[in-house]
Order: sequence, then C-alpha cells, then structure tokens
Amino acid sequence: MIDNGLLVQMLMGALLGLSVYLPLAAGQLSLATPAFYAVGGTLAALLSTRWSALGATANGGFPVPSLLLEMALGGVLAGLLALLVGRLVLRLQGIYLAIATIALVEIVRVAILNLPFTGGAVGIFAIPQPFDTAAGYLLPALALLALAGWLCQRLELMPLGRAMAAIRHDELAASCMGLDTTQVKLTAFVLSAMLAGSTGALAAHFLNTWNARQGSFDTSITTLAFVVLGGSRTWLGPVVGGLLLTALPELLRPVGDVRLVLFGLVILLGPVLAPQGLVTPALLERLGGWSLRSGASRKTENAQP
Amino acid sequence: MTTSSPPSTAGSSGPIERQQRGALRLAALLAAGIGVLAWLGRSSDPAAKPLPAGPLTLGAAIAFTGNANLYGQDQRMGLALAERWAQQTGAPARPVRLQLEDGASDEPSAIAAFNLLIRQGVIALIGPTLSQQAFAADPIAQRQGVPVVAPSNTAKGIPEIGHFISRVSAQSSVIAPLSIEEALRRDPSIRRVAVFYAQDDAYSTAEVAIFQKALAARGLNPITVQRTQLADNDFQTPITSALQLKPQLVVLSVQAVAGGNLIRQLRELGYRGQIVVGNGLNTPNIYPICQRWCDGILIAQAYSPELNTPINRRFQQLFGQAHGDRPPPQITAQAFAAYQVLFEAIQRLQRKGGLTGVTLGQARANLMSELLSGTYATPLGPIGFSPEGEVRQDRFYVAEVRMAPGGRDGRFALVRELQLQENQP
Repeated sequence: MIDNGLLVQMLMGALLGLSVYLPLAAGQLSLATPAFYAVGGTLAALLSTRWSALGATANGGFPVPSLLLEMALGGVLAGLLALLVGRLVLRLQGIYLAIATIALVEIVRVAILNLPFTGGAVGIFAIPQPFDTAAGYLLPALALLALAGWLCQRLELMPLGRAMAAIRHDELAASCMGLDTTQVKLTAFVLSAMLAGSTGALAAHFLNTWNARQGSFDTSITTLAFVVLGGSRTWLGPVVGGLLLTALPELLRPVGDVRLVLFGLVILLGPVLAPQGLVTPALLERLGGWSLRSGASRKTENAQP
Repeated sequence: MTTSSPPSTAGSSGPIERQQRGALRLAALLAAGIGVLAWLGRSSDPAAKPLPAGPLTLGAAIAFTGNANLYGQDQRMGLALAERWAQQTGAPARPVRLQLEDGASDEPSAIAAFNLLIRQGVIALIGPTLSQQAFAADPIAQRQGVPVVAPSNTAKGIPEIGHFISRVSAQSSVIAPLSIEEALRRDPSIRRVAVFYAQDDAYSTAEVAIFQKALAARGLNPITVQRTQLADNDFQTPITSALQLKPQLVVLSVQAVAGGNLIRQLRELGYRGQIVVGNGLNTPNIYPICQRWCDGILIAQAYSPELNTPINRRFQQLFGQAHGDRPPPQITAQAFAAYQVLFEAIQRLQRKGGLTGVTLGQARANLMSELLSGTYATPLGPIGFSPEGEVRQDRFYVAEVRMAPGGRDGRFALVRELQLQENQP
C-alpha cells in the first residue's frame, strides 16, 4: 500500500523527471539535475539548521513560510548556477553535453563533500520539520508539481515552447529561421535547474538529513530512467515515469529478495515494449479526441428519436 | 512541420489542441489518482489501537541491497541466530516474531522501510545499517514514538536524535584509540605516523578524527594524512608518497574491500612497520583480499569470539551450526545483541504487566523505558544503556590478525582485553 511518505517521494520523483524533461524538450540531453537538486537541498539544510532567523524551534519545528522561502531561494540559487554553467556547457551537443553535465554533478558532489560548513561525508542532520507527518509534505510537493505542469502545458503554446520544439527537431534549421538557439536552450536549462533546486529544498526537510550522496551520478541515471520509461515527448511522460519508478521498488516488497530483479526487468522491458515511453503525443491526441459533448449529444439523440 | 498541421478553424480542432486537451485530461486523471492515494494512505497509525494479544512483531530494516549489503548480510545472520536462540530458551512470557525488510543503502529506502514497518504495527525497530540512513529514518520513528535499537550505527549523535533511539554498537570514539595504545605499548619509540582514510565516507571521516585525537593525546602528530575515495582500490600513489616519509606506524580507516587492498599494497611496496586499522576492517571478509599480508594488523573490537561467557558460547555454537566452523564477525554479534536486548526487555515488561490493557503506542513507550533500565548479558559482554540510549559497554578487545600458513584464512586473535571503568553498564 502506498503511504503518504512514499507518495511524497513519488511526487519528488515526478518533479525531478520534469527537470530532466525541460532541457530535453529543447533537444538537450542534460544529466545535471542532481547537481541542482543537491544545491537546493544543501542550501535548505544549511539555512534551516544555521540561520535562526528562519524560526526553527528547539523541538525541531519549522514555520511553513520559511520552507516556502527556502524552496524559492533554492530555485534561485540553482537557476543562477545554471545560468553561469549553461553559457559554457550548452555549446556542447548530444553525448558531449551529457558528459559535461555529469562532470558538473561530480564537481558539486565533491564540493559539498569538502566544503568546511557542509558537514563532510556525514552531512547535515537534525533538519527541522515544518510538518508533523509526511502528509504535510504532500501539499507543497503537489503545488510545485502543479506549477511546473501548468508551465509545461502552457509552454507548448508559447513562442518559447515552440522554439524549443523547433530546436529539438533541427537545431540548424531553427537557427536559420532566426531563432536565438543559445538563449532558448539556456532558458530551458535554467528552468530545469530552478525546478530541481526547489525540489531539493523540499527533499532536505523530508529526508531529515542531507549529505553529498543525495546528488550523485546514480541519481542522474535514475532521473533519466523516469523520462525514458515515461516518454520524453510530452511533459506528462516524465511525471508518470517518476511516479511509477519511485513507487515500484516499494510496491514490489512482497516478492522479497528478487524485487530489484523485477524492477530491473521493468526498466528493461519498458523501452522494448513502449519505445516512445508510456505517454506519447499519439496517446494524448487520442485521449483529447474523445469528445465528451458528442457522446452526450448522442445520448440525447438516442433518448429522443 | 507547419504544413502537416493546417490552421485550425473554429469548431474543428487540430492535433495540437487535441494533444493539449488530452494532456489536461490525463493530468486531471493523475491528480485524481494522487488524491485517492493520499486519502487511502493517510496516516492510519496503529498506535492508538489496543495492543493485540499474541506474538509481538519486531521490525528490522537492514541493508540487503546497495553498497552496505556486506554488513547487512552479517546482520541478517545475527538476527536469524537470535531468533533461534529466543525459541530455544524455553517458553517466553510473550512470543516475539521478526519482520525483516530491506532498508537498502540509501536514505529514502530506509525511510520507506521504517514507515512500512511502523504502519504494520511493530513494537520496536532494529536498524538501519548505516549512520547516514539513521539520521534520515530515526527521526520518523522518534516522532511516532517507536523504539529503535541500532545494531551498527557508530557515528556521533545517533542516540541524541531522541528518547526512542538507542544503539548497541559502541561509538568509534570509545573503541578506536585502544588499538593505537596497543601499538605504542609494543613499540614506545614510534614517532612517525601515517594516516589513511576515505574522505567521502561518513564512517571513515568520523573515525579518523578520533584516531587523530588519540594520536595527539599521546603527543604524536601524523607526518602525513592521505585521503582516498570510497570506491578506490588502487592506492599506489598515496602509499608511495606516504612511504617516502618513512612512517613507523600506519593507521587506516577505510571500508573492508578498500582496506584489504590498501594493506596488501602497503606491504607489497615495502612497508614493514605496524598497521592499526579501524572498525571497517572488522570482518573476516578481508582475509581473502589481503591474504598473508593481513598478518599482524591490530584492530580494536567491541566483540571477541574468545570471550568465555555462557551466552557467547551459546552464540558461537548457534553460529557454528548454521555457518560452519569459523568465528562470528562483530557485526553479527551486535545484531544478535540488538534482538536480544529487545527480546529480554519485552519478557520483563510482560511479567510486570506493562503490556496488558494498553494501546500499541503506550506499549512502545513502556518498552522503551524498560529497555533503557535493564542490563543485559550479551555476546558482546555485559551491556546497558545511558538515559539517552547510548550503549554502556565496558569490555573491549584488541585483536591481532593471525593468518593461517596458506594465507587463505585467518582469525582475530585476542591480544588484550580492556575494562573501561566509566562505561560500566
């Protein structure tokens, strides 16, 4: 059964999936999401444990507005970092960009490990709690996901989203049409970083502790798997992928020791059976084509022959 | 691209509009699904329900997967032996059953396993394997008032997480200095010490700080401190630069596999002096890695197979029956002790009547105070708890690895047993 704690983890998985999706929507394979996630998480962990102005109480409580402030700050800091780094790395394409972003993940991990104020390998613990139970985290996580989803949905109709799609289809052609491709790619990269940073700030409180292991190369691969399984063509793909793949290892607990084998099988068979992912544009089109009104009118016609 | 989708006219809708509508519908569906899941999964905390009659469930969340599974396997053996021991000690006042869950080696998995076990109504928890996981999962048990006994968390600050958190694994600050003392007793002329540790590992960084403090207390300043990485297996460079400074003693604080390789390479590159190692190498699993080069390394332990007490003999016997003729590792003994202290506290509480006519939440709270108030004769020696839940263990051991002539197998030979007065249970 899915308890609220797992549901929060699933929502955070969906958020990280969206963060990988955004650059991908502009044709850029970036694996940097865990780096920004780690930046946001470390910032929140530091602020809430060291800066008493945020209102952490002695018994481990924490005001909710401060949490929202941390999420905003985490997003801004990650976005700034993305702005700096993006100018450099977005000159690269395809697998070279992927490798450069893996390097960014490693740099951030090693920095967090070695900075004098981030607690070294043990990390920062006893992070104060804004909510008594895991259910409390549902609201901010859902709100962030709704915001990100709304943005992605709007993006498809906005010039920026169209430009991203154009670059994804053919970057050379897009630039010939006069699009400032660097600017568009950078915007997508920064949006992705802000999302990951805010998610990290929320995750730091949810996990009670934060250390350099949270944003590792492993996380890069996990979040990429969300997008591959869910589908990289629509924003709902990574959301579905993130929700499912985060829940699956826990739902498979009853099968015992072979649960991770089954989990691996799902990741293996997913792309084989659904090469475009679970959620494809064609699926959405079919879903959107079902006309509720025509069904309803047909019913009234049947009632009055 | 533009040619394929004709401009949409009023009334009909193009593929983009249909996709948008489809996305909205799927999103609404997902939102509804999440809402239903949130409603179904809302905290149905069994703590308020009356404690059911019949056997009590102990939950254990330990690492069967991930990089800590070497320790998790040892812990699983210890828990299984403890279960058998409990069954064979005669009819208990209150039967206890064990529910094992994989806590993996990362924080989210430990949290999920703890949540799952707590919702299943366990009376107490054993785990998680790593200290870093404990910092994530223990606060959850603390908030819900579920007693936790950690079998292998040695980092500073674990019992301080809260009233319900305790451990049977002595902090490295207590154990680690003892082996240095032994090395200096053997060769008082030692002045030049080299230190190696894995800088990205919580256990190593914590332990090395204690080693360095112990060295400083004896007026020794390391001539070099070499940092390695958790995943390193080739140490030629740090060893070469350390050996140029001609150390008389090498202190290592790394995990088992890396440590075995490091020792072997140290010897192969010509180091002949004493080697003191930390708790990470406290497992017979290092023998196949460093083979005859392991011979003579010094290690301080919280458990000695050579301790001659009835419970340790019984533990050895059970271990021998299940796993053949070899001495049990410390981490297995500690897992056994974690189960044992909970089992004995439950039996005492049952006899006192603290488990009748109470809710599960009250039973958990009663068990916690009963646990902390008792003393226990475990395979580790006699142990008790401080009011914070820190283990009070007064008997520690310094062992020397003695390898068999073939270099394939060896044992931790007890060289000294120490009684620490301030830690009496």
